Amino acid sequence: MKILIVEDEKPLSDSMVEYLSDEGHLCEATYNYFEATEKIGMYQYDCIVVDINLPDGNGLDLIRLIKKQAITLGIIIISALNSLENRIEGLEIGADHYLTKPFHLAELNAHLKSINRRISFGGSNQIIINEIRLIPDEHKAFVHDQEIILTKKEYELLLFFISNKNKVITKAGLAEYLWGDYMDLADSYDFIYTHIKNLRRKLLKKGCEDYIKTIYGLGYKFELN
Amino acid sequence: MLAISLFVFLIGIVAFYYFLRQQVDQNINLELKKREISLNKEFDALHSSAKPYVNLNDTVIITTLNQPRPAENFTDTLLFNPETHQYALYRQLGFVKTIHNQDFYIQIFKPLEETDRLIIRIVILMNLLVIMIIVTLIIANRHSSRQDWKVFYDTLTKIKNYDVNSHEEFLLQQSDIKEFEDLNRVLLTMTERIKNDYLNLKEYIENASHEIQTPLAIINSKMDLLLQSGDMKENQYKLVADAYEASNRLSRLNKTLILLAKIENRQFPESKPVNPSIMINNQLESLEDLIHSKKIKVINRMDSEVTVLMNPYLAEILLVNLIKNALRHNIPGGELILELSSSTFRISNSGPALQLEPEMLFKRFHTSSSSPESLGLGLSIVEKICTMYGFKVNYSYQNNMHVMQVDFHKA
Repeated sequence: MKILIVEDEKPLSDSMVEYLSDEGHLCEATYNYFEATEKIGMYQYDCIVVDINLPDGNGLDLIRLIKKQAITLGIIIISALNSLENRIEGLEIGADHYLTKPFHLAELNAHLKSINRRISFGGSNQIIINEIRLIPDEHKAFVHDQEIILTKKEYELLLFFISNKNKVITKAGLAEYLWGDYMDLADSYDFIYTHIKNLRRKLLKKGCEDYIKTIYGLGYKFELN
Repeated sequence: MLAISLFVFLIGIVAFYYFLRQQVDQNINLELKKREISLNKEFDALHSSAKPYVNLNDTVIITTLNQPRPAENFTDTLLFNPETHQYALYRQLGFVKTIHNQDFYIQIFKPLEETDRLIIRIVILMNLLVIMIIVTLIIANRHSSRQDWKVFYDTLTKIKNYDVNSHEEFLLQQSDIKEFEDLNRVLLTMTERIKNDYLNLKEYIENASHEIQTPLAIINSKMDLLLQSGDMKENQYKLVADAYEASNRLSRLNKTLILLAKIENRQFPESKPVNPSIMINNQLESLEDLIHSKKIKVINRMDSEVTVLMNPYLAEILLVNLIKNALRHNIPGGELILELSSSTFRISNSGPALQLEPEMLFKRFHTSSSSPESLGLGLSIVEKICTMYGFKVNYSYQNNMHVMQVDFHKA
């Protein structure tokens, strides 16, 4: 997937480029509004990751421009402004997701994956990882073609792991993906532990290999060999 | 005030004139009536051989004077009225008239009874008028001074209730008294200055919080990448994990503080009817795994019809924080009781009694020793949201249960 990253903070932009490139995406970075409009005009992207506060313009205007030119691409807003109005406005003018800084790269990646699935297969696809098969549209999961009954959170968790396979996923990243900001999430580490324990048990019961590795004190990794 | 007194005075004079007039008329009428009676009697006396009628009112007593002539004099005297058999007070004029070298002492009388009555009435009337004016003046004076003090007391109450965080304008009543006006002016400038300082400070903190987000995002993203590099020793992982945890804590803290500031600034204006029971059930669903693992028994006594008018986003934050709190401090195999009526929401959970003052619960950064990772801002957020909507939130400990109660109606 070809991704344009519009973020004026170079170190942050570099991190995104590195993480996403590692996932096999083709990333280009621009650091201001003007350059971004030029690139959008010249090249084709599947997705754009855009910051709202740019030195020479507003990321929301960039989205409006894209929508006006009827360019179809996935849009993810990243912003330090976590106001509800901004969020609503961003989503209303056509953004797919709104991430508040600081965010976790795994979370950004998971959102990009879901945009990718939507663009590539119109959403009606399956994700197959060895013996695991997911049907995102129906929120269904299969192991060796046997359906496993997962709770909503367990399903989201599995999808998140698969989207970030072979990556170290921190507990904090998981918590924020599953429950969003604003909650006093300290105890959600317990919640996560419970969710993962249950998910792992359900997967193992159907003969699935134990892919979920615990990294002590830090988080988890969905490890495929 | 002057106008009121003048008005009363004028009315009094007019009333006085008419009343006096009426009194005098009455008096004259009475005299005329007496005159009529005496005339009638005189006529009767003329036509009969009865003893001639003596009209005391017109009595003239003429005596021959042998003594040296007295001067003309006015005196009060009592005369016996044979008809009423009573003595009555008369005013008498005595003078000497010389007819054919003979001195005659002539006394003429005028009854004082009627005039006395008139005088008494006039005195009473005048006193009434004066009393009326004095009373009016006192009332008017008291009223106007109360009006003046009212402004003062109004100012006093407003200062007492002054909240620099309030979004209502600080307005004081106008006064006619210069000193009060001065006081109000000074107060207005002062509160204005305090408010501006406060807003500047708040803006500074908000900006700082927002600016912190970007460096935090960079730190987090770099750590994310560092973690992915893979070829780290276990002790290195541990180092990164600790640093990562700390930066995460910082970013969560920052986000929560920004949220608190936003609630304080009332940046969640739009309210609509929210159904708490639907929200709570959704939350319970997403937390069901945890509830199962802790073997917590959920007892739902919520009225599913109840709606509350508030911002849906804040409503969710409020309820989620209360639920999480009740789960966090629950004991394995404990109970979680949810009760909702149109006036209150009450969430109770099993657990050992608190070792601290209940008021401390709502303080920022207060955390219990049992969950050190907690930021201690959850209940603070709950309280802020409740305050914003004028709800009352209360903690109590009953039958080994922690009870959080939110009253939707203003206390």
